[in-house]
Amino acid sequence: MINWTLLDRVRRRANPVERDLIEAHARGAVNRRDFIKRGTVIGLSVPAMTAVLAACGDSDDSTPSTTTGGAEAGGGAAAGGSLIVANQFGDANSGLDPVNMLDLGTYNVISQSFEYLVGLGSDGNIDATALATSWEPNEDGSQWSFTLREGVMWQDGTPLTSADVAATMDRLAAANNAALGGVIGEGSVDASDPAVAVFTLLEPNGNFPVLVSIFNPQSVITPADYSSGTTLDERPAGTGAWILSDFNAAEFVARFERNPNWWGGETPLDAIELRGFSDIGTAVTAMQSRQIDVIQNFSVIGGEGLLDDANFTVLTPPSSNHRQVWFHVSNGQFTDKLVRQAMAWTFDRQQMVDVLFSGRAEIANDHPVLSSLPFFDAEAVPQRSRDIDQARALLAEAGVEGLSATLQCGDLGEVPDLAGIIQQNAAEAGFDLQVNVQSNSTFYGDSWCPGGTDEQPCADADEFGIVDYGHRPIPDVFFSSALASGGVWNSSNFANSDFDTQLTNYRAAIDVDGQKTAISEIQKILWDEVPASYPYFFNFLAGHDASVSGVQATSLGHVVLSGASKSA
Amino acid sequence: MLKFIGRRLALSLVTLVILILIIFLLTRVFPSEPARQLAGPFAPQERVDELNQALGLDDPLPTQFGRLLGDVITFSFGESFSQPGEQVADLVRPALWNSAKLVVFALVLTVPLSILGGVVAARRKDTLADRAIVNLGLASASIPEFVSAVILQYVIGVRLGWLPPVWLPGEGAGFFTQLRFLLLPALSIVLVYFGYIARITRAGTITALDSDYTRTAYMKGLNTRSVVRRHVLKNSLQSTVAVTGTQVGYLFGGLVALEIVFNYPGLGNLILRAATAPDFPLLQAAVITVAIIFMLSTLAADLLIAWMNPRARLNVRA
Repeated sequence: MINWTLLDRVRRRANPVERDLIEAHARGAVNRRDFIKRGTVIGLSVPAMTAVLAACGDSDDSTPSTTTGGAEAGGGAAAGGSLIVANQFGDANSGLDPVNMLDLGTYNVISQSFEYLVGLGSDGNIDATALATSWEPNEDGSQWSFTLREGVMWQDGTPLTSADVAATMDRLAAANNAALGGVIGEGSVDASDPAVAVFTLLEPNGNFPVLVSIFNPQSVITPADYSSGTTLDERPAGTGAWILSDFNAAEFVARFERNPNWWGGETPLDAIELRGFSDIGTAVTAMQSRQIDVIQNFSVIGGEGLLDDANFTVLTPPSSNHRQVWFHVSNGQFTDKLVRQAMAWTFDRQQMVDVLFSGRAEIANDHPVLSSLPFFDAEAVPQRSRDIDQARALLAEAGVEGLSATLQCGDLGEVPDLAGIIQQNAAEAGFDLQVNVQSNSTFYGDSWCPGGTDEQPCADADEFGIVDYGHRPIPDVFFSSALASGGVWNSSNFANSDFDTQLTNYRAAIDVDGQKTAISEIQKILWDEVPASYPYFFNFLAGHDASVSGVQATSLGHVVLSGASKSA
Repeated sequence: MLKFIGRRLALSLVTLVILILIIFLLTRVFPSEPARQLAGPFAPQERVDELNQALGLDDPLPTQFGRLLGDVITFSFGESFSQPGEQVADLVRPALWNSAKLVVFALVLTVPLSILGGVVAARRKDTLADRAIVNLGLASASIPEFVSAVILQYVIGVRLGWLPPVWLPGEGAGFFTQLRFLLLPALSIVLVYFGYIARITRAGTITALDSDYTRTAYMKGLNTRSVVRRHVLKNSLQSTVAVTGTQVGYLFGGLVALEIVFNYPGLGNLILRAATAPDFPLLQAAVITVAIIFMLSTLAADLLIAWMNPRARLNVRA
């Protein structure tokens, strides 16, 4: 039974974007979980969300919680001490450069000192736990205002202002940041009020807060006088809980001390150490023997000892991590979509999930939209599964016989094993595939997206390969960077005007119905055109010893330690 | 003897220059463009051209080689390509020191143990003890060091918890703490080299025990211990010294897998990272460092052999 009086009171105070969401929830189009997630994205306040849930008769345990940030030690844990975190060895080529970093190891180091406008909530999604305490859009979602937290100081004692936000965003726009390219330009942020950063977007975007959150790793706010290429070790700074005290580039070891002036209060721990491991197996061994306290990431294969360890706490943050099997659609042997479809029909996705992840993964359907997202359309396209007859028929229709190709991939996680499975799966339909496993540096530079033109940044990409994509709570980056015409990571060189139109529609939609309509079309286009195949989404695994508490992780490798503590 | 040392040194220097030339040419065979790597995949070609010029990669090969020789003499090597702002020498030096610690510790354990094993096996030739030493040594030597490393790491480090399985001694760790952390990697090396060196020692000792000078020593009335110490070992260990000398260079730069298993920051790890980056100055510096160590250890072994056996000096002179 809906309490219309209460609902109407909230509805009248809401802006058009918020009103649309409230009404969608009231008529049952958006469930409770998605209402909270979406409400957080568009900046609906916690009291308003609570009132709507109460008015709609949702139970008390559905009340959204907002962490206000700050250090909260785990129960019974002793204050003080330090932690050692096994961290992925960062890419030396980018160094600790917040603008140009590209790997999980560096994200984690950088985010100990620098913070995002929008932080991480206790449910693993975005929340007002970082530099912005609230945000709201204008009527059509083309302008977003972020109110900055009061009393935030840089480590040199100067206050954080919207000028720092504006300068950071200018740097990201100039660098054509993967998530913000085409969304903002230089000069997009109005900093006339030092306490409020007002973003005027190049086109409306209903999900914009996610793009300046922890889920767009390079969007950390750096001082106004930083420049692109300045590294954290070269110039330690930040507003975060930890101050970089020492960085050993050769061993990729970063040591931090507590920031006594952090806005969130005093951290329970005195210090933290992030230690680079070039091999996950070695990090797992160190965790098993408790030489380290926290492990940033490990895989199911090789991590069985940790998964079975009663004194080890496994963290599985929400994850859309996936592998993209791309086909170069404008050059080489995969220009005919029938051939691409044939390849996709050979994939035994269940085998991949079982063999590579022991079931800790979700089968995907050749598009990067997670089924748990509110705008996912389950009816859009049928689930593609292994069908060799279909694959052979498509090849025959395309007039292709005995296609021989090389599948390029980097030596990362389960990717070489996935390549092996694809090679075996495809052989039955008549594909003769060779697998070329390269070092990651060589792979990214030479195979995945070698320099092209502004219109076609990955023009010289190899015709067929596997690349890794980390978690994003919404698929915007997967669309705009990897699939849209001229996308900076578009190794498929896919240029489809229908797709681009639907992407614009999706971005501009500020209501869930509008997003779902566009996403449904996108699912259909990608399923039919197959510029890339998406076989699965897999769980991200992190964890820590049972004596440690208060650690949060994201599927992009962040290990949030501001509230962490360790019992004796 | 001085003349002998001079000749060997001169020969070593010539070998070193040839080695540097080979390393220089090999690093130029890499298909990647270092300037493109440094500038990033999306950088404009002008930026790449600027970097090529700034790094001297546009210069003729002889000019670049001459510059490299100068770098070797001063041990400067300039700035790392993959870690801008870091001097190559500052990256190589700690890795070299770490490798030296591991290699010296491993040799301190391996060499006396292997010599003892070899001598015992030779003196008890064709007995159960001889067969046990030879066959166990052969078995352990046939397992690659990184495989025995993983087994030791899991059994001794993780399951039994007797020794730390991963190199994490902490900042400013003391001598004995470091030794404790080094024990498992060093034991992995011992397992491989014990069988190898013990068998060579055994063969040399058997030959020496059968020789005329040993019989003469016994006939002079010396006891077995004196005969072995004064006459047998000095002759039988020449092959052992030669083999150990040549293995030192490998141990410094070739333990890539072992160093990865233990997360040990040695030269092997550094070379691998430099090769995959790719970082030419770092790669050249690290490989040349290993080559110099190889040359020095071989030279030291030759000198030791010459001291043990004057005929070796005569052979060179002849």
